[in-house]
Amino acid sequence: MDAGADGRKIIHCDCDCFFAAVEIRDDPSLAELPIAVGGSHRRRGVIATCNYRAREYGIHSAMPTARALRLCPGLVLIPPDFEKYREAAMAVRRIFHRFTDRVEPLSLDEAYLDVSDSEHCRGSATLIAREVRSAIRREVGITASAGVAPNKFLAKIASDWRKPDGLFVVCPDDVDTFVSGLPVRKLSGVGKATERKLDRFGVVTCGDLRRIGLAELVDAFGAFGHRLYELSRGIDNRPVMVERIRKSLSVEQTYAADLPDLDSCLAKLPELFMQFRQRLRRLDDRYQVTRQFLKIRFDDFTITTVERHCPGGVALESYQRLCDEGWRRGTRPVRLLGVGVRLADMAPGSGGRQLALFDA
Amino acid sequence: MKFSISREAFLKPLQLVVSVVERRQTLPVLSNVLISLDDGRLSLTGTDLEVEIVGRQAIDEAEEGGEITAPARKLMDICKSLPEGAQIRFSEEGGRMLLQSGRSRFTLSTLPASEFPAVDEGPGQVEFNIPGAELKGLIDSTSFAMAQQDVRYYLNGMLWEAAEGTLRAVATDGHRLAMATRAMPFSVPEKIQAIIPRKGVVELSRILPEEGEVEVVLGNNHVRIQGEDFRFTSKLIDGAYPDYDRVLPKGGDKTMSGSRELLRSAFARTSILSNEKYRGVRLLLQENLLKMTANNPEQEEAEEEVSVEYEGGELEIGFNVNYLLDVLNVLRGDQVRFLLSDANSSALIEDPANESALYVIMPMRL
Repeated sequence: MDAGADGRKIIHCDCDCFFAAVEIRDDPSLAELPIAVGGSHRRRGVIATCNYRAREYGIHSAMPTARALRLCPGLVLIPPDFEKYREAAMAVRRIFHRFTDRVEPLSLDEAYLDVSDSEHCRGSATLIAREVRSAIRREVGITASAGVAPNKFLAKIASDWRKPDGLFVVCPDDVDTFVSGLPVRKLSGVGKATERKLDRFGVVTCGDLRRIGLAELVDAFGAFGHRLYELSRGIDNRPVMVERIRKSLSVEQTYAADLPDLDSCLAKLPELFMQFRQRLRRLDDRYQVTRQFLKIRFDDFTITTVERHCPGGVALESYQRLCDEGWRRGTRPVRLLGVGVRLADMAPGSGGRQLALFDA
Repeated sequence: MKFSISREAFLKPLQLVVSVVERRQTLPVLSNVLISLDDGRLSLTGTDLEVEIVGRQAIDEAEEGGEITAPARKLMDICKSLPEGAQIRFSEEGGRMLLQSGRSRFTLSTLPASEFPAVDEGPGQVEFNIPGAELKGLIDSTSFAMAQQDVRYYLNGMLWEAAEGTLRAVATDGHRLAMATRAMPFSVPEKIQAIIPRKGVVELSRILPEEGEVEVVLGNNHVRIQGEDFRFTSKLIDGAYPDYDRVLPKGGDKTMSGSRELLRSAFARTSILSNEKYRGVRLLLQENLLKMTANNPEQEEAEEEVSVEYEGGELEIGFNVNYLLDVLNVLRGDQVRFLLSDANSSALIEDPANESALYVIMPMRL
């Protein structure tokens, strides 16, 4: 797709039944069975994701597992393995970042990509979407659907158009035709209530919606009326919000009773450090630890932070030294302790720690 | 078709061609090798539609000429597992290929030769002869820098450039670049560029003979290299190669020279504790001393010092240690020279005794 008048090219990419797809990837014998990933009905769990075979029975995500099992007694219920899904999701996200650093994740397995300025695939968003989908299939072993359009709202609708494992492109020239035929319930924010209300206006499609003036819409729907007015004309100027890059990672604890002296602070550190280690272990490996810090809030609410490059590694001993140093600055009871690290983002899409030969 | 041949004489051309035959083929005939016998000369051909290799072998006992295709891998596995020195007799029988050797007998499925795709070649733009070992040298001193599965598809290959009196090979993945040049006694009206796909480059390096000359034909869409007992043809990558000359550092004012082996082994040790994914090492240059450090996410640290010749003023610069090691591994001289300017500009590395090859690496921000 080429850029339209305002030049934006947005891809919405969404993995197909993500958790279930990862499970099927790891056990292909599940492919032909109705499967769902979710919590056990014995613990009042709900379905997180199910495959298309299971959807034929009317099962959908957020449905109580007990009900799903009544609908389909042969349903294969798999307890979720979030570590595994997170790993697959990170692999998917790294693929997105190969093509642009303008990625807005919506959930683990779904994101908007703004490729308006991408040099990849000779600037063709359609080709990029195709490459992204085949890279996900090849490298992660699951399928994804993608929609390509001049804005976010159309890209999202487009990705759903050929789901699963499909690609649909709304070219700038086709926006008008595509939108006018679109049922209003496809618009984000239009639920059952709004749909009924619009139906009373004789509105079923966006084409119908366009016949209603802005004033009338705002009158009937408030601020959302303005949005309806724009969406029905294929207008959506929301920018792709690039993901927040983590600058630090820390764990803090406010104590029920103030810690009276340095020794009682030091005594609390191992527990805090263990919690912090847990979180540090789950950190994406795009980050590299640059410095360690310890934060103290004293009983008079003053805060001090001691920060250091600790060549010994992220170790309890380093935090003990930092704690000793920090406490001496106040020498009074402590309300809160925090331990953490400063991070450097090493991911290629992050502005590139590895510099490039050619400006691309 | 009917002929007898020794196991070794058959394996020689078969081994040349079999690796271009891919295991998983969409077109069944592509997992086959084309066997043709004409006038006492046996040729075996393998192709993946991009790269085609023909291996030739003279035959002692040719009874009947002909052409047929048979499964490449199975043929290879059978011939390799026969005892050394075995004589193999090939014949066609009712659309099948019969192999007999001693008391062993194999019947293989075949497909007609007419189904075997030929790589169509356009006219050549430039033709020249070059010693096989020299061409192999150009490839082997640069191929490591080719990109792999980069979306900039033209980087997944090697540029050959024929200009007045020189042949040049260039490879780059966008972070580092390798370039080797050789004087050639030919004259071309204007620069000719051809990008040979990665697979072709790898195959060609494998089959180029250490002795004797080969004939090279560079065309618009194809390159063909022919030796005494092989012919290699590859499609070219259709695309514009980036202007490599623009990224060769021109203004470096800081020169560091040192023993290639000392530097190589120090980098290799330091690399153990660099981030496994990003592979950064920090270089600190002081008067006649190079300090290198690396640390990983666990904050483990490696530190090395190497004596070098350096007088350019203190400089701290980071690199992907793999890129440095690749260059130091491919260079052959005792000494190596680095030309640097600052922490954000590329470094040029070469063998001061042999400037036919040069290497450029972009730094990392660490």
